[in-house]
Amino acid sequence: MTVVKSVDLRCHPERAFALFTEHAGQWWPAHRRHTRQDAPSVIRIEATGRFFERGSDGTEIELGVARAFEPAHRLLLDWYPGTGREHPTQVEVTFEAMDTGTRVTVRHGPGVAGVDLFGLNAPGYDRSWDLVLAALAGCE
Amino acid sequence: MNALDALGNPIRRKILIELRRAPMPVGALADRFSVSRPAISRHLRVLQDAGLVDSSERGAQNVYAVRLQGFRSVREFIDSFWDAALSRLEELAQK
Repeated sequence: MTVVKSVDLRCHPERAFALFTEHAGQWWPAHRRHTRQDAPSVIRIEATGRFFERGSDGTEIELGVARAFEPAHRLLLDWYPGTGREHPTQVEVTFEAMDTGTRVTVRHGPGVAGVDLFGLNAPGYDRSWDLVLAALAGCE
Repeated sequence: MNALDALGNPIRRKILIELRRAPMPVGALADRFSVSRPAISRHLRVLQDAGLVDSSERGAQNVYAVRLQGFRSVREFIDSFWDAALSRLEELAQK
């Protein structure tokens, strides 16, 4: 199961990438924030790999880890929201130059959750993950 | 416990694999494991609470089966998050 979503932005890939990483606090859905909702929080994805939310009181919460940070091209994120850091999902974001701007495509799937959830060394790992994928496919 | 947390246990994953092959009562399921039948029952309860397993009465027995819809919650979370996020991103890019 991978959720694929894309949007065409009227700006260059460089700006689209900056909007996505430096100003994530501006597009992140308000009701999906961890910090108090009456004060704006900052959300950033950094080249160092840090991916966090910082509340107005300075409290920081890790939202994941950037595994790849390729400005104007691509991001690969371990993603904690929704499933927790014990079972991260994986998000790949690509930025593709178009005549009219930039196509941003998000691919959100089990990714490393398969590794974390089922353990690479666990016997039957392949079959276990196959089970979940088949079940998810059945929800289409 | 949510679906992903329930899946975090190797015995519960093995139970799901067995039930995917064929629905069965707790006794038949327990025969396939080295852990006790009460332990299997506890795991089944967790799976049922998480919405991953259903049970139905067949004669005097409860027969357990995998519930595919239970895997849907993660997908719905992801879907609605990105719909909201990308439409907001589109607005921002136009400023």
